[in-house]
Amino acid sequence: MAIPVEQLADEMYEIVKESAGVKKLKGGDLTKAMVAKHGDEVSRSDVKAAIRILIDSGRCVYGYFGGSSIELPHTEAAENQ
Amino acid sequence: MADDLKTPLLDELEQGPWPSFVKDIKSMAGKKEMAKDLLRQLEKSYEDKRGYWKHGGLVGVMGYGGGVIGRYSALPEEFPGVSHFHTMRINQTSGWFYTSEALREITKIWEEHGSGLLNVHGSTGDLVLLGTRTEELEPTFRALTEKGWDLGGSGSDLRTPSCCVGPARCENACFDTLAVNYNLTHQYQDELHRPMFNYKYKIKISGCPNDCTAAIARSDMGIIGIWKDDIQVDSKAMADYVDSGMDVQGLVVENCPTGCIQLDGKEIRIDNSNCVKCMHCINVLPKALSPGKERGAAITLGAKAPIVEGALFGSVIIPFMKIEEPFEEVHDLIERIWEFWDEHGTSRERIGEFIERVSLAAFLEGIGEKPLPQMIKAPRDNPYVFYEEYFAEEGEGE
Amino acid sequence: MATEVERKTDIGPPHYDQFLHPLIKENYGKWQYHETLAPGVLMHHGPAGDIYTVRVSSPRLVSVNFLNAIMDLADKYSDGYFRFTSRNNVEFLLASKDNIEPLKQEVEALGLLVGGTNNAISNVVHTQGWVHCHSAATDASGLVKSVMDELAEYFTSMKLPAKLRVAVACCLNMCGAVHASDIAILGVHRTPPKIDNETLPNLCEIPTTVASCPNNAIRPTSIEGKATVKVDEEKCMYCGNCYTVCPAMPLADPLNDGVSIWVGGKICNARTEPMFTKLAIPYLPNNPPRWPEVTSAVKKIVEIYAANAKPYERVGEWINRIGWPQFFDMAGIEFTKYHLDDFRHAGTTYRRSLHNRY
Repeated sequence: MAIPVEQLADEMYEIVKESAGVKKLKGGDLTKAMVAKHGDEVSRSDVKAAIRILIDSGRCVYGYFGGSSIELPHTEAAENQ
Repeated sequence: MADDLKTPLLDELEQGPWPSFVKDIKSMAGKKEMAKDLLRQLEKSYEDKRGYWKHGGLVGVMGYGGGVIGRYSALPEEFPGVSHFHTMRINQTSGWFYTSEALREITKIWEEHGSGLLNVHGSTGDLVLLGTRTEELEPTFRALTEKGWDLGGSGSDLRTPSCCVGPARCENACFDTLAVNYNLTHQYQDELHRPMFNYKYKIKISGCPNDCTAAIARSDMGIIGIWKDDIQVDSKAMADYVDSGMDVQGLVVENCPTGCIQLDGKEIRIDNSNCVKCMHCINVLPKALSPGKERGAAITLGAKAPIVEGALFGSVIIPFMKIEEPFEEVHDLIERIWEFWDEHGTSRERIGEFIERVSLAAFLEGIGEKPLPQMIKAPRDNPYVFYEEYFAEEGEGE
Repeated sequence: MATEVERKTDIGPPHYDQFLHPLIKENYGKWQYHETLAPGVLMHHGPAGDIYTVRVSSPRLVSVNFLNAIMDLADKYSDGYFRFTSRNNVEFLLASKDNIEPLKQEVEALGLLVGGTNNAISNVVHTQGWVHCHSAATDASGLVKSVMDELAEYFTSMKLPAKLRVAVACCLNMCGAVHASDIAILGVHRTPPKIDNETLPNLCEIPTTVASCPNNAIRPTSIEGKATVKVDEEKCMYCGNCYTVCPAMPLADPLNDGVSIWVGGKICNARTEPMFTKLAIPYLPNNPPRWPEVTSAVKKIVEIYAANAKPYERVGEWINRIGWPQFFDMAGIEFTKYHLDDFRHAGTTYRRSLHNRY
């Protein structure tokens, strides 16, 4: 049985939340975490769709420092008002 | 010009025959505080011999993780006009062809929403809009998409592919560079806008081995035109070159890297089995010689600038493939490469570094391609071979 | 919200077809040959007729005013059609030969140059520099302007032995990918990053920062109980990788930042294989606004190349023929320990034969 993408989105959101401030996670890290947890029940395209849900809803944002990451929304240190 | 703008060092760069970027920025300074403070901050950089920018990493348009580069002045109180100075990368057209009607729509949008300054074009190929504020990103994006333009890539994603002038204005194009460039840019919009890779992935497309987009040096994946059969010769045009007094022997025959050309009176004889398609003779004798008829492209992988493990040129991964609509073979190859790299690459590892780490043999096996002698300069010269086939003693094993 | 236009995403670029001159469309894929009529002026011959290209210099960093002026000329002389080259030149695409001269005159009246074809120095591929980049060790636009003011005659003529490609990158990130140009000008930092131990723990991930260093020079540490990193300065080669992932490790050092000069790279496959640029001058000072040390060094290299190379011989091919000792001698450049490679595969650059010139 395929895992619903909404469930994947929720699970990935928890992972992002837990690693906030510790490690910036990349799309690939989240994919690997989901595959490790659910095996054949998730596909790469499901994970992609779930990330898109997280980003489009504003629960997560893309960040960049030498590589792109998926993070919780926050004010960045470089920002000027 | 505003009287309060004092930039004596930069003013010196308004002199001289080469067109001046200072003049251009100044031409916006009357209208845009952003352009004025850009000049002021740059003047300070010229005085102090250092830059004054911070790098931002979060700004973008909703839903996209690429296409916007966040930039903030390190001296926002001194130069409030460039407190925000973000870049937007716009997908250029195939071959960088424009009409004034279409590009005027962009200049109008950018004059309204940004600094009015641009790079035409950026190193990867995008049309680069330089300098706007965070709150202007979304309105600019909306205005651009209304007129049919979209953002390019940045970060760990596919960058906007770029191609040479190709069949639009070059007799040497071995395939339709504009068509494949357009097709790949559209086929992979998701990969362009939503970073999911280990690091950046640049595609450059050149129609022949002259490689006007520098694919061999600057692209993770190069699609470079090549042919397999004989160079086409127009004997009359060839005779005309000889009759004109041109030193064909010295300029062409003696420059052939494999010595496969002979000049016999007014006739040129080419040992095509020995030709390495370097383009020299075709470049020097464009009226007489042209690439063969069996045309396609070689695919190279792995070129990059030094960061992290040193600069690399691309290596030939597919010595020859046909590049034809609807380009399904190209898509299939790209997707096999991405899947293997996604699965086994590490963070910030470009495809070239990845192939060197896992070995070409393992990479080819991973993407399902057979090793071919065209992929190497020479076989290995060390004996450290990882043998995988063994004989078993009789009676043992299966 | 009913009146609001729906937000569009992932529409990609417009189709190129609408930007092609009608004559180009008719000749698409059928071009037979081209001729260079004058510096910066090409004629491409196809069955549907000839198209004339006028190639024009651009500072690349331009304003909408620049583009609007170009587009006015395109409307007047090339039916509104034009393009840009991979080296950022502007190209007007003319159906009428009669428009070439009046267009050239108007282009020159704008302060732009016509040229950059065949055996010329074409436009200089370059990066953002102090104008827009956080990691720049120099300014790219100012260097290009200063160098090309000196070399403009090589843009507007075709008197060099072969084409000569100059590129500028303002740090080792090489957004301008200068590693395969005939002459490359590369901004360099020469001192290790200055660690801001106050902000680093908040701004940066320690493991990512440690992993970013290609030479394993960064180690985790703690100062007054706060986690941070330290740099083994002996191992640091000032590449700026750590700064890319950790903004609390800036490299800018006005006293020591500067410029290095590289020579002999090429991209096209003609005659010889593509080649990397090699180090010629390890360091020249940043001396804005005109960088006189850099411009005179580049000019000297161009001049000795122009005087000594054979027809069609690129800078790298010429140096390979005469040998590096002669190149350093002719260019008057001191050979130092910095010219000896000490990174990965350094041994491949050592002389491992007796093929030497004395």
